[in-house]
Amino acid sequence: MSLRLATDIGGTFSDLVAFDEVTGALTIGKASTTPDDLPQGVLDAVGAAGVSPADVAELVHGTTVVINALTERSGARTALVTTQGFRDVLEIARGNRPDMYNLVSRKPSPFVPRRHRFEVRERVDRHGVVLRPLELDDLEAVVSACRRDGIEAIAVCLLHSYARPAHEEAVRDALLVALPDVPVTISSGITREWREYERSSTAVLNAYVQPAVERYLDALERRLHDEGLRGPVRIVQSNGGTTALRSARATPIRLVESGPAAGVIGAARLGERLGEPNVLYLDIGGTTAKCSLIRDGEPATTTEYRIEWRPDYAGHPIMVPVVDIVEIGAGGGSIAWVDEGGSVRVGPRSAGAEPGPACYGRGGESPTVTDAKLAAGVLDPEYFLGGRLRLHPQLAWDALRRLGDGLGLAPAELANGIIRLVNANMISALKLVSVRRGHDPRDFVLVAAGGGGAMHAAALGAELQVKRVVVPPHSGVFSAWGMGLAEARADAARTCVLEASASTAPELDAIFGELEREVATGLVAEGAHTGSARYERSADMRYRGQEHAVRVPIALGAVSVGAVEADFHALHRQKYTFDLEGDPVEIVTCHVSVFGGRAPMPSPPSPTGTATPAAKGCRRVDFDADGIHEATVFDRGDLPIGFQAPGPVVVEEETTTALVHPGQTLEVDEAGNLAVWLV
Amino acid sequence: VEERFDPFEVEILKDKLAATADEMGVVLARTSMSPIVYEVLDFACGLTDSTARVIAQTNGLTLFTGTFGPQVEGLIADYGLDGMRPGDVFATNVPYRGGTHTCDVCLVKPIFAGGRVIAFAVSVTHWIDIGGAVPGSIPPDATDIYQEGLRLPGVRIYDAGSRVDSIFALIAANIRLPRTGLGDLNAGTAAVAIGERRLLEACERYGLDLVLASFERVLEHGERTARAALTRIPNGLYRAEGVIDGDGVSDAQLPIEVAVTVGDDWLHADFTGCAPQAAGPVNCSTGALLSACKTVVRAITAPAARSNDGFFAPFSLTIPPGTVFSAEPPAPTGWYYEGAAFANDLFWKALAPVCPDRLGAGSYTSLCCSYVVGRDPEADELFVLAEPNVGGWGGSALGDGESALIATTDGDTYNFPAEVVEARFPVLVERYELNVAAQGGAGKHRGGFGVVREYRLHGGEDVSGYGSIGGSDRRPWGLAGGSEGTTNYLEYVRDGTVERRGRVAHVSLEEGQVVRSVTGTGGGFGDPRERDPERVRDDVRDGYVTIECAREIYAVALDPETLEVDAAGTAGLRSG
Repeated sequence: MSLRLATDIGGTFSDLVAFDEVTGALTIGKASTTPDDLPQGVLDAVGAAGVSPADVAELVHGTTVVINALTERSGARTALVTTQGFRDVLEIARGNRPDMYNLVSRKPSPFVPRRHRFEVRERVDRHGVVLRPLELDDLEAVVSACRRDGIEAIAVCLLHSYARPAHEEAVRDALLVALPDVPVTISSGITREWREYERSSTAVLNAYVQPAVERYLDALERRLHDEGLRGPVRIVQSNGGTTALRSARATPIRLVESGPAAGVIGAARLGERLGEPNVLYLDIGGTTAKCSLIRDGEPATTTEYRIEWRPDYAGHPIMVPVVDIVEIGAGGGSIAWVDEGGSVRVGPRSAGAEPGPACYGRGGESPTVTDAKLAAGVLDPEYFLGGRLRLHPQLAWDALRRLGDGLGLAPAELANGIIRLVNANMISALKLVSVRRGHDPRDFVLVAAGGGGAMHAAALGAELQVKRVVVPPHSGVFSAWGMGLAEARADAARTCVLEASASTAPELDAIFGELEREVATGLVAEGAHTGSARYERSADMRYRGQEHAVRVPIALGAVSVGAVEADFHALHRQKYTFDLEGDPVEIVTCHVSVFGGRAPMPSPPSPTGTATPAAKGCRRVDFDADGIHEATVFDRGDLPIGFQAPGPVVVEEETTTALVHPGQTLEVDEAGNLAVWLV
Repeated sequence: VEERFDPFEVEILKDKLAATADEMGVVLARTSMSPIVYEVLDFACGLTDSTARVIAQTNGLTLFTGTFGPQVEGLIADYGLDGMRPGDVFATNVPYRGGTHTCDVCLVKPIFAGGRVIAFAVSVTHWIDIGGAVPGSIPPDATDIYQEGLRLPGVRIYDAGSRVDSIFALIAANIRLPRTGLGDLNAGTAAVAIGERRLLEACERYGLDLVLASFERVLEHGERTARAALTRIPNGLYRAEGVIDGDGVSDAQLPIEVAVTVGDDWLHADFTGCAPQAAGPVNCSTGALLSACKTVVRAITAPAARSNDGFFAPFSLTIPPGTVFSAEPPAPTGWYYEGAAFANDLFWKALAPVCPDRLGAGSYTSLCCSYVVGRDPEADELFVLAEPNVGGWGGSALGDGESALIATTDGDTYNFPAEVVEARFPVLVERYELNVAAQGGAGKHRGGFGVVREYRLHGGEDVSGYGSIGGSDRRPWGLAGGSEGTTNYLEYVRDGTVERRGRVAHVSLEEGQVVRSVTGTGGGFGDPRERDPERVRDDVRDGYVTIECAREIYAVALDPETLEVDAAGTAGLRSG
């Protein structure tokens, strides 16, 4: 019973990482994802790692069930109950046109059609005062319509329920009596923040996915139990913390970004081991790149998350804490093309796995980032995915030539250009999470994961002037690795607009105390120990008259409003270049998070290679602005701890290739990470 | 010239310019003090080159698509490039010089490199009040611009980096909500400062010559994109006529017309023949007219592309001076977005038949802005609840029109959540729902629905209301056989009596009284009898269409119990 297992189900592979808490050993298993029977993929990965479920003390799981049910629109037939007069809030949404010059714009279409949106008579004001009592009789018509139409889940969102949830609770209780087999989600059960459309959407999406998630988690638990697992199963939430199965079933919408969040937690824990609390995290896959920022050991989270959001599409809001991840359509499969104005563009369209990049030889005609990397000599055609996929350089050159001819560019020039453009896209995304939020990349290390991270990171790190670039071992299963290190977490928030002044300190103390008791109760109910629990407080604050707020961390204990206010002025200055000291300040929403204590970090791998490993060979690599050089090629498995080499160097492993530019230095650090020092 | 530069570096710089405009927008929207900026996003930011050509722009709404160029040109004419110094910031809000209305305060900061002006950073925000006859500064019955508040005709507010305190004091003394106004002045100044900082960083990193070359490339790229798209629109002369419902002073309809000529790769609009400038404030100036037209040019050429003046190189405009779309001093322009909205609708209507994949039938058009103003005893402050309303859009060849979407003249504009409104203003929101009762807009692809939004006054003092709702008589036009949409209006309800209004100047309101904004259905596209009967059935089930309408207009027979399609009955109705 000494193993912690972490399993991450992705679109293609189900990954598993097993930490032995006694020996420190780390085992990896990989199996194909089985879309029709997802638990089987988890069991297959357990089998592939040669782990016996009976030895498992705890299993941590990341799942895509929630996001899949949403994007495939395969969730439950859902109804919504709202305050009289507000039946259409879900459809009216915010009415905005982010694609403002598109005069045939489409809004996100609601998850509950109008015929299944019902009203009840009741009214509460912003202070939680009842202006009109709840008329429970109105539910009779709702119940009969739900029976008639085979409704499978119900969401309830009443006006100002963040201030007084009692009406929602009464509606829920009445519905559960009348329709005992239909799960009911109340908005105040998920979030106590204001804005009725966002809260309605959150409740609806939770109700919509709940039956599918419940079926999935039940099946997973049963199958693991049948295989002999006795330890608890915990699920990774979008906030990067874990939760027990019971609360995952109750508010499955908290799992919406389960997998990606775990990678960010992995990066935070890696930073902790390196003594680097400030980390920029970059994960480059086949079609997208994801960026996040970790400051003082904590990933930034947001409650303004929207599924399917794009700069030109509003998406559907979910008001739960989600690790703040910026995702862009730039990866190995991103296709280069020429737009109507004659400019070369890369992505967001991707060649995917089929037909894949031109060099896969599966019929892809357009040059992709991978083709450009092959042409530049970064990739070895004989050692892609450890040699399992043979690449065809000639097909890459042909594709580059076809596009380049029309532009008057030689294929090698175009290949360089493609790499530079895709790097520029990634720089923009990394700046979005750093510079644009008032952080200086020079204070951060760049952790690169995913199949493509290590290939681009040295160039990106140099441009951003980060402290150094770090490529962790097993970067192909980094999300699973991060899951294994995630800790229990619960969050609570309350909207309560208060003027920041010494006289409001008692009120703030009371709110934070209440929120802390609430999250602690949640954690204890899950079986976590509160002894090692760690609390964090913050508040959304603004100058009176502003709408948008700045999230300000707040120290534990009795609140010193003066100190909080000073921190707010400083943060406002950092983010927006100015402050308005002397102007009245408001506290809008208070937040509390509790963390259940961190799992121990597995001990570093013992050195394997010899002190002076033999190079695999040499190859000609085009480093763009840094020139064309003969680079030494190493196999990562051969490199011992402490190994150092000056660039130009290529380090190959099965799932990724790391590039070290001329002038940069490679080092294998004590934890087995590749560190690239940039100057 | 371009050959000397690496084409990919220029591409990367182009993206940086766009990102700079975005960043300016984020700073402005997140720090503004006015709900009309941070929720309605009534602002824009961007960069022009030293000759006032827009290189990059981020808009909260489309009304500023054409205003930066003429505004910066005006400043260059006043001061000369030689008369500007690093650290200067100028403020302008004069409608007749490229502006919109006096509430929109535009800040311009010259950016210096190599000892000369290389660009201008520009931000514009709608201030919630700039003085004048009424709180909010846009009296619906204004008869000259003096009633619309303080004019800032290209005033230097920062002189070589130092704040000109006397100007700040003058502004503060002339507006009703100085803390908010000066807050927005701060936000706008922060935005142009960020624009300057990022552009100078780019100059340092890439060199001034490359940055200047990227300006040219941005413009060339826009122009090429627009010309390529225009070649797909059939050449010809396309005309449209319409009316504006009243000017705020009189309810008389103002006739408007346009003749649009499409050439091989160019486009010309001639607005000759429109009504002369009106007594009331629905007039717009040519800057706002340009915005209205350029919005349609973008829609039919490159709706998803980043904004710059290159896209508009193939477009030209004829408008005689002194019309409702080319107002001259001292004509009032407070409700210029009414004039601009109808100019936009007119231009759109002319081109809709030949741009089926980019333009649908007519929409509710007017922003339908309603104001409720008074004193909030709890905060002991004046309050101004100003809000545009979402409405119904027209059906198109691609599908049904959208319901509850903000008008063309706005953009990424959010409605106010009821919970936020109630926290900030002494009102209760009693109803916010789709205006399905209006019906209308029938078609193979029907128009989308507007909304009904009701406020009940709840604890304010000295409260009054006003508004300027267009389309209270004129209906959104149908396309390709679709039917007309429905009207927009305001209703003031007191003791059971309902007063329905379009443009209304100052009505005193009593505690408990209801103010109701109602917006209309968009026009339909195509013959309603060709609509898929299953979709008509779904519309009836959802309460969008009545069963009678289904039968009479869509010629679809439904079983009144199950609401299933009666196939035989429908065939009978449709063969008739």
